[in-house]
Amino acid sequence: MIPVVPPPPPPKPMGLVHRLPDDEDQEEQFKPLEWGLMRRLFTYARPVRGKLSALIGLSVIRSAQLPALGWVMALVINGPISHANYVGIALGVVGYGLLAIATDGLFHFRQRYALQVGETVVNGLRADIFDKVQRQPMSFFQRMKLGRIIGRVTSDVESVRSGIQDVLFVSVIQGGAMVFSAIVMAWSDWQLFLIVLGMAPVLWAINRHFRVKLSLYSRAASESFSRVTATLAESVNGIRVTQGFVRQETNAGLFRSLLADHSAYNIALARTSAILTPLLELNSQFFVATLLMFGGWRVFNGDMTLGALITFFLLANQFFSPIAIIGNQYNQALVAMAGAERVFKLIDTVPEWVDAPEAVALPDPRVPVAGVSPVPPPLLAAPGVCVEFRGLSFGYDPARPVLHDINFVAEPGQTVALVGHTGSGKSSIINLVSKFYLPTSGELLIDGREIRTLTSRSLHRQMGMVQQQNFLFSGTVLENLRLAKPEATDAEVRAAAASLDCLDILEALPQGLLTEVGERGASLSVGQRQLVCFTRALLADPRLVMLDEATSSIDALTEARLQTALLKLLRGRTSFVVAHRLSTIRHADLVLVLDQGVIIERGTHDQLLAAGGRYAALYEQFVQVDDGD
Amino acid sequence: MSLPPSMSDVVGPSNGALIRRLFGLAWRYRLHCLQVLGLQLLLLVMGIGGLSFTGLGIDYIRHKLDDTPMDDNVLHVALPMAWAPLQVLGLLAGLILVLALSRAVLNYVLAVSINKLVQQKLVVDLRGEVYDKLQRLSFRFFDANSTGSIITRVTGDVQSVRMFVDQVMIQSVIMAVSLTVYVIYMASLSPSLTLACLATTPLLAVLSTWFSKKIQPSYAHNRTLVERMVQILAESLQGVAVTKGFGREPEARAKFEAANQACFDQQQGIFWRVSLFSPAVGFITRINMMVLLGYGGWLVANGELPLGTGLIVFAGLLEQFSGQVNNVANIVNSVQQSLIGARRVFEILDAPVEVKNAPAAIRLPRCTGLVQFENVSFAYAGAEAVVRDIDLAVQPGQCVAILGATGAGKSVLMSLLPRFFDPTAGRVLIDGVDLRELDLDDLRRNIGIVFQESFLFSNTIAANIAFGHPAATREQIERAARIAAAHEFVTALPLGYDTVLGESGASLSGGQRQRLAIARAVLLEPAILLLDDPTAAIDSETEHEIFEALDRAIAGRTTFIVAHRLSTLRRADFIIVMEQGRIAQRGTHAELMAQPGSYRRVASLQLLDGRELQSLGIAKPGGERT
Repeated sequence: MIPVVPPPPPPKPMGLVHRLPDDEDQEEQFKPLEWGLMRRLFTYARPVRGKLSALIGLSVIRSAQLPALGWVMALVINGPISHANYVGIALGVVGYGLLAIATDGLFHFRQRYALQVGETVVNGLRADIFDKVQRQPMSFFQRMKLGRIIGRVTSDVESVRSGIQDVLFVSVIQGGAMVFSAIVMAWSDWQLFLIVLGMAPVLWAINRHFRVKLSLYSRAASESFSRVTATLAESVNGIRVTQGFVRQETNAGLFRSLLADHSAYNIALARTSAILTPLLELNSQFFVATLLMFGGWRVFNGDMTLGALITFFLLANQFFSPIAIIGNQYNQALVAMAGAERVFKLIDTVPEWVDAPEAVALPDPRVPVAGVSPVPPPLLAAPGVCVEFRGLSFGYDPARPVLHDINFVAEPGQTVALVGHTGSGKSSIINLVSKFYLPTSGELLIDGREIRTLTSRSLHRQMGMVQQQNFLFSGTVLENLRLAKPEATDAEVRAAAASLDCLDILEALPQGLLTEVGERGASLSVGQRQLVCFTRALLADPRLVMLDEATSSIDALTEARLQTALLKLLRGRTSFVVAHRLSTIRHADLVLVLDQGVIIERGTHDQLLAAGGRYAALYEQFVQVDDGD
Repeated sequence: MSLPPSMSDVVGPSNGALIRRLFGLAWRYRLHCLQVLGLQLLLLVMGIGGLSFTGLGIDYIRHKLDDTPMDDNVLHVALPMAWAPLQVLGLLAGLILVLALSRAVLNYVLAVSINKLVQQKLVVDLRGEVYDKLQRLSFRFFDANSTGSIITRVTGDVQSVRMFVDQVMIQSVIMAVSLTVYVIYMASLSPSLTLACLATTPLLAVLSTWFSKKIQPSYAHNRTLVERMVQILAESLQGVAVTKGFGREPEARAKFEAANQACFDQQQGIFWRVSLFSPAVGFITRINMMVLLGYGGWLVANGELPLGTGLIVFAGLLEQFSGQVNNVANIVNSVQQSLIGARRVFEILDAPVEVKNAPAAIRLPRCTGLVQFENVSFAYAGAEAVVRDIDLAVQPGQCVAILGATGAGKSVLMSLLPRFFDPTAGRVLIDGVDLRELDLDDLRRNIGIVFQESFLFSNTIAANIAFGHPAATREQIERAARIAAAHEFVTALPLGYDTVLGESGASLSGGQRQRLAIARAVLLEPAILLLDDPTAAIDSETEHEIFEALDRAIAGRTTFIVAHRLSTLRRADFIIVMEQGRIAQRGTHAELMAQPGSYRRVASLQLLDGRELQSLGIAKPGGERT
């Protein structure tokens, strides 16, 4: 008898996008007001200092103007209108009109100045963020997620903007209006005013309670929405897989459940705000009823005039509506504080290292010395640099070194091939020579100078690199090529492409060199992109060339053409090559075989093959001749 | 960035046709819309009621105080004059409170009801439909439109479309009804005062409509500038190694500065216009108040208008009235925005599905794997053919390698098999049946595909392997993983098959990812396997990792493999070399090595010379040079 095995539980339904909680993603939404942060923010308004001071004055004036309009109206109704004084009515209307012109005229400046101050701060913050981020060494970009930096420049800076352009000024105006109308009401009838005053805290409390709830829900809603968009993005990018594997139905079902999830948060959000708004309105109606009852009673008793009661009706709104508005602004201020803190944290991130202050430029033999007639150096004629590693050790995390006591010399014009398994330290050597990272100990000499004493840029300007993961900026092919040498003429660019034997391939693109490469170069094929990168590197006329798995993504037919050209590119220049192509390694002047951060074999290709060591073994694996022919 | 022609406004339905279609959409939700409208009407009437009772109270106090005549009021409510004054006031206050309470409840119901209509029905339905359709569109659509633009269609554009229902249709009805009710009510108080006070209304409506038409393009332009600034930032971060590598930080900075400054400069114009418009609107509203104060005051002084139910109620109504008039601009905006959105959404919904199931499709649960191409050509619409006159027969279980330069038509040729595209001439047959007569889902389930860049989803490893068959058991998944030589490294992970891949998940090497992709392809035991250059994205050292996987996956299946490396090419039963869409050479490795041509050129580049082979101790005399 076969034992009855319970059927396995059905697989758990899972969304297309399955995200792990990321602690760093949990960013604070609010932050208490902090004077230091605010002061620092306002330093960015320095270019518009005059407008900023003017704004504060304008806000104070406007805070009196708004209740004044209501008060003038009450005065006209209580006085001339109630007593049928026609001249008085006319005068009142004129007075109201003048006040209205002044109020709205001033409003123009108050609004424009505030918008301009906000934009100035935003502009300054963005420039600062970009500047500071760009100065960070490469290790920073390994750690930091792209989305986070973009979040700083977009949503965080925007919340700072609304903090700057609204919170302070709106609060001053609304608070002032409250005080002003309170004075008028208290002056009209202070006992009735006490009732008005008593309701203010209730309104404040209701508003705060719901605002906090609302922002929590809106956060949940936006998180569920980001799941929707992330899934959508994956579905679009993975459309070939989806169609190829007939997954449309399943995906559609999952997507609908994500939509339903998102809509549930939206409804919760809507429900909360659907309570708040009517509640605020109910409150003001409750106030009207109280005023009618209690005020009426006092009027009948002769304790107050009907005029005073009407004043209350007209001014009460000026007193109550600021409560909700200031409540919102307070919320806004907390969000802006949180945004500002994150922005400044990014700006204040201390780079792990920067060029030493006394660092000097690496002398560039390609640049004619001042005074000597500028003869343009012929292409492909720059003498290479000399690179020397002396007892060098390095680790991305100093506690875990990936290179140990590396010693070798690359003479000017030599090609050094780096061979070894993933993680053996090949890319680290390239990263060090490029001064993307600094050695942990030991020395790295470029043209006889310790790399720490050289400025990064002077080194980079004499260097050209091509990586396996090529990167193009959106724009035309030509613009991408010119990145290496912005001042290059069209003829120079073409000459560079021609000398790599790929000008015809680039010109065969739909608009030739003016073809848009699209987002990250997406409208070119991987191979075409790589050719652009090679040409770009050659255009820089580098003395030092880095090729990190540079040809592995080019199709074999194109690569065959490129091989000859490549040798030409390397001639006379010092180069470091990580490659899978035997031809490149075969021509290297020095092959370094790395294993776990140590050079275990060195020599030329022929010497190493003859030695029959690790290199020979690796070589056998490379060519995969195990299955014979 | 320039948009592909399909997205710009070249052709497309007229605005009239779009609006008719949007009405049709709203008609689907008519009951819900009616409910919203009914509630809104009730609220309107109750609001006016509350305001009037306040006015009545003031008039009553005034009447009691200095005996102002209190004849028939507009509500035609006779106050119980016999009651004590405070009782009357209490009654009025009570009525106001009751109205306010019911309004609060109704307002809540209304807001929830609108949101349910919009968020639970309209948006979910529309997004679902668009997503559904998207998944069936041909790849060309995805190549022609950027990911961002497609996402926007499902997110932002769908919101614009639904705006037509709740912001345009419902709002205009509400606006029309409330304005009518306000005008009738005000006119019943005093026709002349109504006319005088509303004299500025057309001006307000025209001004705000004109303004929003003027400012919209500026806002749109601003969004483009901001997007560009963000894009430049994103690229300079992604390409930081390039920028730094060439020492071009100042240029990158200048580029960003320029984009940042462009946003700043463009905003200044917007600021000026906004700061002229809002005070102007504010002032016009205040002119109304001046008229009310002057003319209305005169009427009250003459005893022609009561103070409370007349003047004060009027002031309250005027405020709400101008609020509604300002809404005109919003509605006009929404119409424009929803038309733009609708065009983009309907473009997807209407896009023809190029590859469809035949009406009486032949079911083919399991094919043998005999594949024939008969004189097949393919061209994208309006373009030159990318695949020409292909004749090819592959026996079940055979392996064909395809070699060719970029753009030679290798991938296109392979994508004809799962019918990602249909040939423009000739036909493709599986087991002797034209693909177009086969059931599409059956066909694709018979084919396993491994793409050039292995796309894995942010999900567990198990779910990724079971992508084509979500109900697969763990045994099936593990078997597939073993075939793909992935089982070992997967079980070595702390969470094994439940490891989540993706942005914040485990990171795998190119070879490991590609082996998972192979496992995914073989899970369904397909008779046909398509491998589009599976080693291209893998560095050379991990390349050998997947050979074992490939060998096992290929065994017993009809296989098409695009390859460039000799090590792979030699695994094939025969090789075709493609040049400009045609088969330029075909034959076995040995045959092709014997004739001059591209194949021999590529191969010799990768071959060792005899001396090296001998030094490795693996050379067979003359073996490689045949």
